[in-house]
Amino acid sequence: MLKINNLHAEIEGKKILNGINLEVKPGEVHAIMGPNGAGKSTLSSVLAGRADYTVTEGSVELDGKDLLEMAPEDRAREGVFLAFQYPVEIPGVSNTNFLKTAVNEKRKYQGLEPMEATDFLKLMREKMELVEMDKSLTSRSLNEGFSGGEKKRNEIFQMAMLEPRLGILDETDSGLDIDALRLVSNGVNKLRSDKNAFIVITHYQRLLDYIVPDFVHVLYKGRIVKSGDANLAKELEEKGYDWIKAEVAASI
Amino acid sequence: MSGTLTAKTPGAEFLESLKSDFANYLAQAGDTNFVNQRKQAFDLFLNQGLPTPAHEEWKYTNLRKAYEANLATTCLQEEGIADLLASSVLNGLDAYKLVFVNGCFQPQLSALPQAGDLVLLPLSEARKQNAATFDAHFGKYIPLEGYSLNALNTALMSDGAFVQIKKNKKADKPVILFQISDSSLVNAFSQPRNLVIVEEGADLHLIESFLSNGNGTSFTNAVTEVMVDKNAHLEHYKLQRQSDTTYLNHFTQIHQEADTSINHVTLTLSGNMVRNNLHFYMNGRNCNSLLYGLYITDGNEFVDNHTRVDHAMPDCFSDEKYKGILKDQSTAVFNGKIMVHLDAQKTNAYQRNQNILLSKDAVVNTKPQLEIFADDVKCTHGATIGQLDEEPLFYLRSRGIPENEARKLLLNAFADDIAEKIRIPELVQVLEDEIARKIS
Ligand SMILES: Nc1ncnc2c1ncn2[C@@H]1O[C@H](COP(=O)(O)OP(=O)(O)OP(=O)(O)O)[C@@H](O)[C@H]1O
Ligand SMILES: [Mg+2]
Repeated sequence: MLKINNLHAEIEGKKILNGINLEVKPGEVHAIMGPNGAGKSTLSSVLAGRADYTVTEGSVELDGKDLLEMAPEDRAREGVFLAFQYPVEIPGVSNTNFLKTAVNEKRKYQGLEPMEATDFLKLMREKMELVEMDKSLTSRSLNEGFSGGEKKRNEIFQMAMLEPRLGILDETDSGLDIDALRLVSNGVNKLRSDKNAFIVITHYQRLLDYIVPDFVHVLYKGRIVKSGDANLAKELEEKGYDWIKAEVAASI
Repeated sequence: MSGTLTAKTPGAEFLESLKSDFANYLAQAGDTNFVNQRKQAFDLFLNQGLPTPAHEEWKYTNLRKAYEANLATTCLQEEGIADLLASSVLNGLDAYKLVFVNGCFQPQLSALPQAGDLVLLPLSEARKQNAATFDAHFGKYIPLEGYSLNALNTALMSDGAFVQIKKNKKADKPVILFQISDSSLVNAFSQPRNLVIVEEGADLHLIESFLSNGNGTSFTNAVTEVMVDKNAHLEHYKLQRQSDTTYLNHFTQIHQEADTSINHVTLTLSGNMVRNNLHFYMNGRNCNSLLYGLYITDGNEFVDNHTRVDHAMPDCFSDEKYKGILKDQSTAVFNGKIMVHLDAQKTNAYQRNQNILLSKDAVVNTKPQLEIFADDVKCTHGATIGQLDEEPLFYLRSRGIPENEARKLLLNAFADDIAEKIRIPELVQVLEDEIARKIS
């Protein structure tokens, strides 16, 4: 489904991604871990189409289509969803109005009629329950004044509404309380199917107890320097990154 | 070598024609107080001259092209005014209406109330029928010194509206004053003059709508004088939607007595050049003044909002917010003056001006001016000029919303801040339509 090949990207002349290779197949969950500043959010931003980054080399294909060619909205409508590490607050745009627009734009792209108001509200209710999101949040402005955890929940709620093919979760677990972590993870697990896939960026093994990954990758200095199964995350939790950094240093 | 010797001051011919207009007026006018008042006004006008960018208050705003447009004062009009009104969104609003074309009253297009608590008349009629009230208020609140166009309006005004709501009464419908400049036959000059009296404890909703007709040039120099007596409330909306061959100068003075509250919104949605002066004078305690504005400009449009809030008495509150969305090569000017007089303790005054530039050629000049002479005062101001933030835009797009739609959502959100101050849904609708039209 997703093929990242030798991806290099920079911002303001600073090289951040230095040759990422990653293949994600339908039904898979990939966890990406790595020290602060390694380039994890950069990778997710590049996949979502943030204009600040310049791709200098490499390619990304989604279902055989050149993802890097597409505008951010087209990527979304092709099924890419990024749950942001720091969701932005947008005063004046109501959560509900925003979601309705997003859902209907996606339907338009798929050649479907806009959703009936009652169907939309039903879908909202259903998905809100999934992440136990407080109803009052939907009538408020998008993320405005939301607590850190509420923002993260709202990201997963949006993901549930839009049912992406590829969900990218950038540290969705940080800022969530223990109950919310379980809820959000359950939400993601319910969305999992053999047709979609997830990239889960996290610093903590804890999340991966709930969302069990098929693969774990370590991103360091803009490269995937180690890959393994779920056990790799446990090893990292125990030992930290020093041994990996040492391995990388030795290999140069 | 060049023709500098024969170069005239800007508007010299216009000035000459005004002089002869005034001479003609005097020739047939009697010798009443009213005529004397106008004579003094004309002298004041001549002393000060037409405003040019040489005057500090007109630094950015140049009406020279209006002065030099070979203007004529005329009541003549093309057919089509009725259609223009019919197509106005305000047409569907259940309201009393007074319609003026080039400052001339149009009874057949107007809708007046039965005689009663609300008096709605052309000013020319009110001067005869309601002489005592007229004399007590006309020209009592606007400054002429330093405002030569106010002096000119006073001396050579066209007709306009007289609105009076009686003590402790509430008008059962809003009042709309339509001012239409019609340049389909000649380049038109008009000077509408309105007098609005909200008596003690009364409540009025007033909309002033500026429209235009025709492809010639028009210059409208309008004055609205409003007196709000103790404990009264006024909802006041200004809707400016003229064409790209118009010049509009509108001076509004709102005089407030104690315990009054006023909610004012100015919407400037189109027009070649618009200059608004909105002045509030709080002449009693516990006044509440809300003044909001939104301008959306494109092409070569130019909008200048000068506001002044005089906190002359203690315990008053004013909240001011003007917002602008600018496209293309359009220009906006904002100048907000807050004067807190020596006696005006416990004043709360807030002012903001926020602008979004949608093009690199759009320009905003913004200037807050706070002059505070009292010491127990809360006063803040702030101005911003910037582009639409990239972060929210990217967020919306990353959810599959196309860029254009995303911009619209964000601009509507920006404008909503002002729209929510409007208590008339039809007006809010105009605003949304206009944003949709100008953004696409
Ligand atoms: N605008 C920018 N200008 C310069 N450097 C930048 C800019 N944006 C990001 N970077 C740098 O890129 C590097 C990678 O940042 P990124 O946010 O991708 O890290 P991360 O792996 O997500 O880290 P964390 O775990 O802390 O979230 C960091 O060193 C960061 O400082
Ligand atoms: Mg990050």
